[in-house]
Amino acid sequence: MGTRLKTASLFLVRREPLSSRCDSFSVNTDSSPEVRADELLAIRCQLGERDAFDALIARWHEPIWRYLRRLTDSDDAAADLAQDTWLKVLRGIATLREPASLRAWLFGIARRVAMDRLRRQYARPLENDAMIEDIPAQAADADLERDLAALDTGVDSLPLRERETVSLFYLRELTIEQIAGLLGVPAGTVKSRLFRARNLLRKRLTGDRT
Amino acid sequence: MSPQIKSLHDVRKLAGSELSLKSRLGYVALLLVAAGVTVVIASLWITEPSLPLYTQAAFGAMNLIGVSWVALSIWALVARRPLFARDRVIAGGMAVAFTSLFLAGSFAAAIMAGSETAYAVMALAGMMFAMAIKVQARARRRFNELSARRAELEP
Repeated sequence: MGTRLKTASLFLVRREPLSSRCDSFSVNTDSSPEVRADELLAIRCQLGERDAFDALIARWHEPIWRYLRRLTDSDDAAADLAQDTWLKVLRGIATLREPASLRAWLFGIARRVAMDRLRRQYARPLENDAMIEDIPAQAADADLERDLAALDTGVDSLPLRERETVSLFYLRELTIEQIAGLLGVPAGTVKSRLFRARNLLRKRLTGDRT
Repeated sequence: MSPQIKSLHDVRKLAGSELSLKSRLGYVALLLVAAGVTVVIASLWITEPSLPLYTQAAFGAMNLIGVSWVALSIWALVARRPLFARDRVIAGGMAVAFTSLFLAGSFAAAIMAGSETAYAVMALAGMMFAMAIKVQARARRRFNELSARRAELEP
């Protein structure tokens, strides 16, 4: 909730140039307490400590689920993809080379799992009504917090690339460089997607048509 | 229950089955036993060239089965139930214990029987023992490195 409120304020209140926002998030270096906590958790998992896996899931399941929910617009799809993501995480964390990059690694896996699903979904022709019924509903989730409903709807309505970048940058607080590595695009592309997303959101939230 | 909380419960359940130490070490035991049996059968097959064709074929089939079990357990340990640092130390200990017993048994058989087969089994058991020692040393080194880093990061 705290992260989302912070995000709302970022979108709705702050108006400074994008470059300054990017710089402030890029400060997320190896020495930050968050990164050290992630690294410690990853190392404890690599050692095979059972309670570390419980802590890992407790810490990261919600952000991953929300990220997947954002990409798929469906609770059920997000739950399925979260299971697949965690399966890969549990099977792959023993060989994670840079435990300090845990956050980017987790979202990288979640993204790959979601993209595989979307690729399969788009590749499959719509043959009958039953399949059409399987398409996730676009309507806003009734459980979403009311005070952030407008923002959520705004983010959901962004094109997939911008939505994904916004989600990783503002909601998951990955750095520009981490997102660039994760999406396999230059940092400049990430910045321009964020810039485009902010403009689109501003227009949608304020009704600005200029 | 919200969809998110339900999903969390599902993931916790999934983790419970995925992280079972018993199943990991079960695959290690399968690998060791399958490798040991395959070595014995292969040694018999290779060192007895004058066996009838049907017996040769039976040895070939048994070897194939043994190799399949070895391949299955390696695949499971790589893709399905990867070993964590602590598990690797335990698995290394199991490997050293198993191969040392195997080596002792084959040594005794070689002394008593003095056959070519017994010496071949002993040589292969010796190789397996050396590999097990190496694997365990590497597992301990990795465990110690991770533990040291963990101590550095511990608040």
